[in-house]
Amino acid sequence: MNIRFLRSPIGGAGGGFERLNAYRIMWVLVFFDLPTDTKKDRKNYALFRKKIQADGFQMFQFSIYLRHCSSRENADVHIKRVKSILPPKGHVGIMCVTDKQFGMMEIFRGHELVQNPDTVQQLELF
Amino acid sequence: MIKRTLYFGNPAYLKTANEQLVIEMHDSGETKAAPIEDIGILILDHQQITITQALLAKLLANNTAVITCDHTHHPTGLMLNLDGNTLQSQHFQAQLEASAPLKKQLWQQTVAAKIQNQAAILAIQREENKLLLNYAANVKSGDSENHEAQAAAYYWKRIFPDFLEFRRERHGPPPNNLLNYGYAILRALVARNLVASGLLPTFGIHHRNQYNAYCLADDIMEPYRPYVDKVVCHIIRGNGRFLEMTPTMKKDLLAIPAMDVIIDEQKSPLMNAVQRTTASLVKCFEGKARKLLYPVLQ
Repeated sequence: MNIRFLRSPIGGAGGGFERLNAYRIMWVLVFFDLPTDTKKDRKNYALFRKKIQADGFQMFQFSIYLRHCSSRENADVHIKRVKSILPPKGHVGIMCVTDKQFGMMEIFRGHELVQNPDTVQQLELF
Repeated sequence: MIKRTLYFGNPAYLKTANEQLVIEMHDSGETKAAPIEDIGILILDHQQITITQALLAKLLANNTAVITCDHTHHPTGLMLNLDGNTLQSQHFQAQLEASAPLKKQLWQQTVAAKIQNQAAILAIQREENKLLLNYAANVKSGDSENHEAQAAAYYWKRIFPDFLEFRRERHGPPPNNLLNYGYAILRALVARNLVASGLLPTFGIHHRNQYNAYCLADDIMEPYRPYVDKVVCHIIRGNGRFLEMTPTMKKDLLAIPAMDVIIDEQKSPLMNAVQRTTASLVKCFEGKARKLLYPVLQ
């Protein structure tokens, strides 16, 4: 990996940063099964996917999307937005977990354990 | 919510897709995405960064402060949006029509808050601060006795350890460079929040240099400066006299927006505190309040 990606546990410089802790940071997950029988269904599906991507959700697996939210309030905003763009047909699940819970997830590629997605830092250096 | 600060110090291609900022790193070809609405400050500090106009437009539409740096890595420019608030023409009016006595009172509060915070820094550095506390308690309307400058002279002489022989100058030797860097971040943050509150960062309550585009930002950031000084003191403690800017120092300074400060007896990140300060300023201009909310350093 050539990308220089310094991330610090925020702190150090000027005192405590309790506001950004693992219990306040939320991950919003959206799971969906949408019909693709007719042309219109496929269109609705594509539109929904595009809209949640525009809201900052990133693909975790096919039809499972994730978004990192720095607070409970922020998570509520994005949950509300997903609700406002629900497709006319199909199943959609919205779930919200704390960063603590999210961090306990185990992800495998084949038999190999891979790293969980990183928490978004308030400050990132590229 | 705390907005994110993104700093680019390596060659990168920045573009946008789906309302996201897409970052393509030159050397690795790796791409990353970040939601534009979550970004508060974007710092461009490399000669080989390419950025698309569509991205700039979207960043500004989301009220991001875009800072560009020159080849010496010092911030040179700050770009802000023109319509940061829906009531802005009403707020502009109130700001421009603010009476001289009101402005003087606001400046009095600002100077008092600044000196108070400077005194707190000296206390942290285990230096005598009674004189500053005395100055802070006796600031006159419009700071007619210029306590700000007297306090500054006293403060800068004592804040850093003895081996530094420090003189505060814009282009002076370190740690002036660290202070300038930190203040530039702070200024961008304050200017961004002023715009978001529907104020003109150009027309100050005290500063009125015809060549300065951010007079009001410079006024309002005064009480926040000691927070930067605190971070610089911390850096000096770790590095002694070796104060050429390193990435670690930069990281410490860039963490300033997320620092916790006490404002209105509540703990909040500095970035949000500035927001409360600018909002209280609007209320003062509109005659709905008389007190500017400033953080209290402890």
